[in-house]
Amino acid sequence: MIEILQQIVNGLAIGGVYVLIALGLTTVFGILGIAHFAHGSVSMFGGYLTFFLVASLGFPLLLAILVALLIGLVLGVLIEWLAYRPVRNASHINAFIVALGLTMMVEGLNLEFFGHEQVVIPTNLSRIFDIGGVTIPELRLYVIMAAALLIVAMTLFVEKTKTGQAIRAVAENRDAAILMGVNVKTIPMIVFSISTALGVCAGVMVGSLFAIAPGIGQWLVVKGFAVLILGGLGSIPGAIVGGLVLGVTEALAAGFISSAYKDVIAFVVMIAVLLLRPQGLMGKS
Amino acid sequence: MLNIRDLKVSYGPIEVIHGISLDVNEGECVALIGANGAGKSSTLKAICGLVPVSGGKVTFEGRDITNLSGHAVVKAGITMCPEGRQVFPQMSTLKNLRMGAYTRNDDEQDADLERMMGMFPILRERAHQAAGTLSGGEQEMLAIARALMARPKLCIFDEPSLGLAPKIVADVAATIARIKETGMTILLVEQNSLMALRLADRAYLFEAGEIVLSGTGEELQSHPEVVKAYLGH
Repeated sequence: MIEILQQIVNGLAIGGVYVLIALGLTTVFGILGIAHFAHGSVSMFGGYLTFFLVASLGFPLLLAILVALLIGLVLGVLIEWLAYRPVRNASHINAFIVALGLTMMVEGLNLEFFGHEQVVIPTNLSRIFDIGGVTIPELRLYVIMAAALLIVAMTLFVEKTKTGQAIRAVAENRDAAILMGVNVKTIPMIVFSISTALGVCAGVMVGSLFAIAPGIGQWLVVKGFAVLILGGLGSIPGAIVGGLVLGVTEALAAGFISSAYKDVIAFVVMIAVLLLRPQGLMGKS
Repeated sequence: MLNIRDLKVSYGPIEVIHGISLDVNEGECVALIGANGAGKSSTLKAICGLVPVSGGKVTFEGRDITNLSGHAVVKAGITMCPEGRQVFPQMSTLKNLRMGAYTRNDDEQDADLERMMGMFPILRERAHQAAGTLSGGEQEMLAIARALMARPKLCIFDEPSLGLAPKIVADVAATIARIKETGMTILLVEQNSLMALRLADRAYLFEAGEIVLSGTGEELQSHPEVVKAYLGH
């Protein structure tokens, strides 16, 4: 029993990272119908940037994260404005190609700026807590708490603020949203801005829990899309439930079967869910 | 209040509105009638900034609003209750109504919400239900209430009776009559010509992208051509 709880706690940390990535992907997909493949690489840029600020410039960790977050907000606006807005009214294949090109560009920039070495963001968080027999490293606990906080904040933002409701409205019915007076040009900018900032947070978490290296971004975005499909495309509750399910399934698979097969098992679970609920866990049929 | 002069609308190379002029005065209910494809809805969409105007001028309260973007038209005071209701299906009735007040910043929104629930008691019953699960008639009431939540100066109704059962059509007509009594300026597009002409102070008859006839609602109701072609008796 303790062992199961232990694996679930382990799974919650990576699950939280998946949720943050998936939240960004799902809101972007919801309002623009775009599969924003570059999201993983952009997140890794955030992780690299934080590493650079801490390791090379000597910033305190929290300040470095804050700076990376702010840069993420701006970067999101730029991505929407420069990359996706020009193909807004073109066929979806154009946005698809832009997304692939953007992924390669960001990967290339990461390589150019930060090199090909694997890096770990130094946190100096080395305490290990023992809660009722379940061991939780300090860092993992903070990651879970931070992810929970961000998920709650994002949910409240979408549900309780005018801008959040406008985002939902544009996703559900773009023309009707215009008739309500929603400026459908600024909404995508806001969505990309927030999504990228969440992605940066996920990048920092990956970079401090595990490591950042070339290719990690693609791994993360594939997981993000898996979560989206598992939870239901465009659904925010779906991204949350899907991310946690995927994270915990992986951890349980790694803990009880084999860590080499954890991805296989997680994807088998995903396929099984989709056979029973093709629209995803929280998707509308 | 709303003045349209020589309005032209094209979809790609095909012109569908060939230079129409019409006016809606404050407090008036004006109907646009005509067959399917005559250009009524395109005219409305051009006013609301949903399709581009290729020629002519639209002024509202003396201000040029030609080709203003959709959200700016709403801010200017024109709200459209669109064809096919277009509610936000996964949002609750309440949240749909709140979206109607999106451009407002005053603190009377809750009072207006209460007023709408009073006017449409069914919406109170359905307040927390997803709008997509409401019946067609209920969705129409929601779409009308949502449009009113913006406190528009001019409220446009695009085919409010389309696809509704005859009994519900009567309800919709009664509702619009009630809204008209509050002094609201209304521009109404309807294929149900009899309903439209009974509600309207004045009406314009559209044929193939042009206005071929105009007059008071009563005049058009008794005009031989209208009777023969549109009222069917």
